[in-house]
Amino acid sequence: MTKDPESPGEADVLTPTTPLDIGARAQEERILRAMAKSCAEKTFSGTTIADIVGNASISRATFYKHFANKRECFDATTDAFLTELRFAAQEARPGGEQWDPDSIRTVMAAILQLLAAKPDHAQMLVVEAPNVDPEIVRRYRDLVIEALKAQRQTAKATHDGADPELAFGRAKVLVATYLSAGKVEQLPSLLPELVYIALLPYLGQEGALEQAQLDR
Amino acid sequence: MSSRSDIEAPSSPSGLDGGSALDLHLWKLPRGRHGLPAELVTRSQRERLLAAVVQVAADKGYLACSVADILKAAGVGRESFYRHFSDKEDCFIAANDMLVDNLERRVGEAYEEPGAWTERVRCCLAATLAWLATNPDVARVMIIEMGTVGPIASVRFEQTFSRLTALLGDCPDLVESAPGLPNIASIAAGAVFAGVYDKVVSGNTAELAELLPQLTYELLVPYVGEEAASAERAVAAEQTEA
Repeated sequence: MTKDPESPGEADVLTPTTPLDIGARAQEERILRAMAKSCAEKTFSGTTIADIVGNASISRATFYKHFANKRECFDATTDAFLTELRFAAQEARPGGEQWDPDSIRTVMAAILQLLAAKPDHAQMLVVEAPNVDPEIVRRYRDLVIEALKAQRQTAKATHDGADPELAFGRAKVLVATYLSAGKVEQLPSLLPELVYIALLPYLGQEGALEQAQLDR
Repeated sequence: MSSRSDIEAPSSPSGLDGGSALDLHLWKLPRGRHGLPAELVTRSQRERLLAAVVQVAADKGYLACSVADILKAAGVGRESFYRHFSDKEDCFIAANDMLVDNLERRVGEAYEEPGAWTERVRCCLAATLAWLATNPDVARVMIIEMGTVGPIASVRFEQTFSRLTALLGDCPDLVESAPGLPNIASIAAGAVFAGVYDKVVSGNTAELAELLPQLTYELLVPYVGEEAASAERAVAAEQTEA
């Protein structure tokens, strides 16, 4: 950075108010969208920097101003989408900290809606990320499982039948089969199944089925 | 001078059946002029290439391995390779298809055994876990490497998954026990896939058989409820200890 008396102070740099910052942020968002689009079309390994640069209508030099390589760009894209999902989940929870079957339902509905609204990103996170690096999946899996475990603590009845660690895998496989079959716009119809999957370890078969059927 | 007995063929032509599934030395042609029928030579080449691509992809990863690596492991020439397959992907997909056929056959055989539906499903699961546990290369290829092939991978995954879960559709209690869950097979088998995936990714494929009791429960509970699933889990636990 050049020493310019006119340049904004450190605190200002963090908030993108100057046209330059806004431009850079918009550029980065274009790159992330281009990455998701290309991954959905030709997978991560088939994607080249040229594809991303072409899709985003930027120069190769601009790409490297934002990211050191393709993998770094992929991670930024999945992270940004995860943040978006987390935000949608928080917004959807009516009771703040309280986890109950109703908040599980509204959170699941919000997640499915967002996945259906952004098919490229859904494909990238659910289908592509495990192929790029299973570690990425572990990160977001732990996030979901933590939320489910918190729910278990507030749940009155505890069942030790189904393993909560496997709930995430069940949901992921179900969503992945829909994406692979080209049924992305039907994802919101999976709400009863996801409610059942999430509640099975805590309410048991009867309770989980009852909650799932409220959505039919 | 030469006869078919010159070939030390494994009991199964695919060479990917038993415990020592991928031992390529079991399926070697004698060197030089052997006077074997051309058809037999061709079949042997193809099967050795399929076994080799599984071994090499499990070792180095599908993306990192080359046709040259496959040729070296198979002891087959480049020209012969391209008579059988158009490229590395073609060869790898063919190997995966063969493995899926093989697994489907094993699951089908276990399912044909007499007994209650829950018992037969447990036996199918036991057969699957045992086969993967004794063939870590196969497990790695089917569960992890297959995903890295390209756009065709996710389509194949969906096809394979629905083929392997089709038997669950026979559950006699289904209509009563779980109305309103049209994707019940995915929900049930998803837990099995998730459990297997975690073991294979963490390099603990040999421990797969230990999952039998819990995965039996997870697979059955959506169909038959807690009581029947717990009973079958207890049988599986005894089976695992024995």
